[in-house]
Amino acid sequence: MSELARTNIHEYLAELEDIPGTRVYTTKRARQGYWLNQFAMSLMKAKNREAWKADEAAYLADWPMTQDQRDAVLARDYNLLLDLGGNIYYLAKVFSTDGLSFLQAVSTMTGMSTEDYQDMMINGGRSPKGLRSIKEGT
Amino acid sequence: MARITVGIGTSHVPAIGAAIDLGKTKDPYWKPVFDGYEWTKTWIENEKPDVIVLVYNDHATAFDMDIIPTFAIACSDSFKPADEGWGPRKVPDIHNHADLAWHIAQSCILDEFDMTIVNNIDLDHGLTVPLSLMFGQPEEWPCKVIPIAVNVVTYPPPSGNRCYGLGEAIARAVESFDEDLNVQIWGTGGMSHQLQGPRAGLINPEWDQKFLDNMTANPALLRAIPHIEYLRETGSEGIEMVMWLIMRGALGDNIKELHRHYHVPASNTAVGHIVLEKTS
Ligand SMILES: [Fe+2]
Repeated sequence: MSELARTNIHEYLAELEDIPGTRVYTTKRARQGYWLNQFAMSLMKAKNREAWKADEAAYLADWPMTQDQRDAVLARDYNLLLDLGGNIYYLAKVFSTDGLSFLQAVSTMTGMSTEDYQDMMINGGRSPKGLRSIKEGT
Repeated sequence: MARITVGIGTSHVPAIGAAIDLGKTKDPYWKPVFDGYEWTKTWIENEKPDVIVLVYNDHATAFDMDIIPTFAIACSDSFKPADEGWGPRKVPDIHNHADLAWHIAQSCILDEFDMTIVNNIDLDHGLTVPLSLMFGQPEEWPCKVIPIAVNVVTYPPPSGNRCYGLGEAIARAVESFDEDLNVQIWGTGGMSHQLQGPRAGLINPEWDQKFLDNMTANPALLRAIPHIEYLRETGSEGIEMVMWLIMRGALGDNIKELHRHYHVPASNTAVGHIVLEKTS
């Protein structure tokens, strides 16, 4: 069984947008967020992290990002950054430079306190029930 | 002749690596995660694999937005653990079986799996955490490692079916290599987890356990799982599990489950681990 039915690209992409509270990192978002993510990637280097910490706005000015993207980075608004083409593995360079763990940074996107979010994880995490599909409400 | 004897699946959560490096494995939070690997650590000492084909993904470490290979095989002689922003993990360098790696690359390409060949790459937690889980903290890793990197970050990643087929092609490549080698293949990442958006923290133990069951019970079902099912059922980062299908595809029809471990949580993630032995 190596042949499966050919995927319809339009149906495939539409389904990716039908998941509650999720931004799938599609080619469209990858194009929109190219410089945002490459800026974040630059923070992998210690020298760049120093320059960034010394003056965040000046550091961002050197990158050809949109002003919306710059403002959202300065505000550490990670949900908005996802909407503007950010990808979590790239944005991780920003929050790890801030000294935040994945758990701490991820919790800021959920509307929960970090403590409540961590408790939820220790108690088994978030159930997929009702969060599988926007259309179907399942 | 080289032969694949065993497949191992495991999560590769970065916080697990940090817990090992900081000596926290006996902490109440971490102990249940690590206890489930004790069986494998003892067992693998006797297995003594010569080479591990280690399927992992790079998390915006060596590959950024400039180059996004779907399937890449690393062919140079050795590799350093990557600096992911807070200094490289203090683990040994990783040594390749470069002859076998180049052989797998050429065999897979002729088999119509068009691999990207990489010769200069630092390896991130996706590759080093599984090594630490299975081998602890040795001075040197006890075997050679052939890294195979899969894009599971930018959509679309390869289909599960394609991953399974690549595993089959890797097995053919290994079997046609003219050196007596005990080769294991490891698939890493997952299980259910979501690291982004208001839905972050999603965990689905029922789905994860079924996936582990079907490694032996019905692998044909696994290869047909579409991306959207991983996304809906296992969270946006659960898609990493397609990498387990490369491992499963390389094992052929007859296998036996030797060991299984499942624990929630490690950080944001459901930890899954399975050991599968090829029986013929
Ligand atoms: Fe990963």
